[in-house]
Amino acid sequence: MSDAREIALEEVTVRLDGRSILEGVTVRLDARRIAVVGANGSGKSTFARLLNGLATPTSGTVRVHGVDVGREPRRARAEVGFVFTNPDAQVLMPTVAEDVRLSLRGSGMARAELDARVAEVLADYGLTSHADAPVYSLSGGQKQLLALASVLVRRPRLVVADEPTTLLDLGNAQRIGRILLDELDAQLVLVTHDLELAQRCDIALRFHEGRLVAVGEPAEVVDAYRREYA
Amino acid sequence: MIALHVPGDSVLHRAPAGIKLLALFVLALAVSLYPHDLPSLGAAVGVVVALHLAALLPPTTLPKQLWQTKWIVVVMVATQLAFLTPWDALVNTVRVVSIVLLAGLLTLTTRSEDLLEALETGLRPLTRIGVDPRRVGLTLSLAIAMLPVVAGIAARVRDTERARGVRLGPRLVVPVLVLALRHADDVADALTARGVD
Amino acid sequence: MTDAPRRRFDTRDIARIAVFAALIAALGLIAPIPVPGLVPITAQTLGIILAGMVLGAWRGAAAVLVFELLVLVGLPLLAGGHGGAASFVGVTAGYLIGWIPGAFVTGLIAHSGRGRIAAWRVALGGLVGGVLVVYACGIPVQAAVTGLPLGAAALTSLAFVPGDLIKITVATIITLALWRAYPPVFGTRRHRHAEEPATAQPVTR
Ligand SMILES: Nc1ncnc2c1ncn2[C@@H]1O[C@H](COP(=O)(O)OP(=O)(O)OP(=O)(O)O)[C@@H](O)[C@H]1O
Ligand SMILES: [Mg+2]
Repeated sequence: MSDAREIALEEVTVRLDGRSILEGVTVRLDARRIAVVGANGSGKSTFARLLNGLATPTSGTVRVHGVDVGREPRRARAEVGFVFTNPDAQVLMPTVAEDVRLSLRGSGMARAELDARVAEVLADYGLTSHADAPVYSLSGGQKQLLALASVLVRRPRLVVADEPTTLLDLGNAQRIGRILLDELDAQLVLVTHDLELAQRCDIALRFHEGRLVAVGEPAEVVDAYRREYA
Repeated sequence: MIALHVPGDSVLHRAPAGIKLLALFVLALAVSLYPHDLPSLGAAVGVVVALHLAALLPPTTLPKQLWQTKWIVVVMVATQLAFLTPWDALVNTVRVVSIVLLAGLLTLTTRSEDLLEALETGLRPLTRIGVDPRRVGLTLSLAIAMLPVVAGIAARVRDTERARGVRLGPRLVVPVLVLALRHADDVADALTARGVD
Repeated sequence: MTDAPRRRFDTRDIARIAVFAALIAALGLIAPIPVPGLVPITAQTLGIILAGMVLGAWRGAAAVLVFELLVLVGLPLLAGGHGGAASFVGVTAGYLIGWIPGAFVTGLIAHSGRGRIAAWRVALGGLVGGVLVVYACGIPVQAAVTGLPLGAAALTSLAFVPGDLIKITVATIITLALWRAYPPVFGTRRHRHAEEPATAQPVTR
């Protein structure tokens, strides 16, 4: 695709019930790892959800890797993987392998190829021994790993993760963080309250009351954010 | 999957789930329409016992299954004796119990997964009237995945009720509904994000 | 019109149907409430009536259908841990089948208020769908299976009616409370525009 790895928002405003949730956001992003920080209710999740069409702008346009998300949400979703906060709400099938397989529904892949891809992803995330296990027997961390596996099996070109480590213990949070930040070869938008994690990204955005108030070096953006509460 | 299925390797276990389901309904229909004298009733009971033997299940299975039908027997005999002759009551009760045992045999010898797949296949002709068998299959699997989640939500709400020392009674269902349906909205987002629609 | 049949179920509908089916199963875990001198009330049928009242005709009936298909394939989800194909050939088969049109009619009446949920409509829906329709399916099948005359079968099911009336009252109260606590789920016009795809809402949690 021509506009490789570029996220471009043009004067994006989101209003709901007459309330403004995002206001006039314009930004172009081509860094590999993009952190998004800001207070509760500042609009981070709404921004993230714009990128795969889970939220639609009231006005303005969102383009992801050359795809106009508003016009072609399905095509955008094929390119954009989305990791949510709560592992329970993302694990959708009764067993681990079935859940990964669900992501490949309608991909037109032959059965053998599909099985191979599922096995490969399960191996990558250390879930092979759980392939046929019922998902409720997994721990929260394993479920989030599975959620990640189910997203990455589609080989998305952009991964949007909305607080993917918030509900995890330290070890699991580090593991998910490492996969997203160091091992992923797709672009990453990482919404997080973990400022350490944010600082390991290549660029950071900060939202405040529905406005994009800072874009830049993660260390600087995070420092300025910290100072406000000092 | 938690189920009532008993693993095994008999002919009945290996028979295709869809065929078994069809056979059950044909047999059930035959049994419920026909037996009314001693020989035909005996034949029905004979078929039930023979099939159970063919399934090579543990020897306690049939008695256990029979015991499960105790309420059917009690209710039927009681109501039937009030309106019908003792002979009719006996015939009807044996008939119903035989069918229930046959159906139980299907459950004992068939994995739920296989039956689900058979259902999905069986729905294919309905594609023309707008039924999408794959979506039905997806919804069924999703519901299975939601069973422990919703049970967990209910348990959490009950704990909260206890911790706060309040007695909600049936109103307990309200927070369970709210949490479960909120969860459903999160699940919907995940489905959409994974391109399932 | 709450969930028009011409529109295909979207992911939000599918998720709600699946979760509600699981909810009906969870209600089966609650021990039956004994009523002195009468048949105990099981919470599971409360779930059936609620499916229609909350999700409306199409989605409500679909949730009940999904629940029953899971029972049919062998999951022990009926109150008391029962399940399997046996439930669909016994004396109570007709009632079980009747739950599906029962939830449908309940939803049809309960949601007939064009985006308004009113107690009398909800209760009426429960009465017609949850009692009349269910018994209209259940009694003939019970009579056919048991060989009892229709009138006699009807008489034996009278024992359940007081419990059903209590259940409808409880379900109505719960539905109205839910209407205050979480109105979007009713999917009525006030909260959701039919022409806007449900997935496009910037709902954030
Ligand atoms: N469906 C909705 N209806 C009404 N208000 C909403 C809806 N979705 C989001 N909002 C509001 O929009 C604002 C921004 O929400 P958003 O979830 O984007 O914030 P956030 O930065 O992700 O917050 P958090 O850190 O708490 O996750 C909040 O005030 C929120 O209440
Ligand atoms: Mg958020």
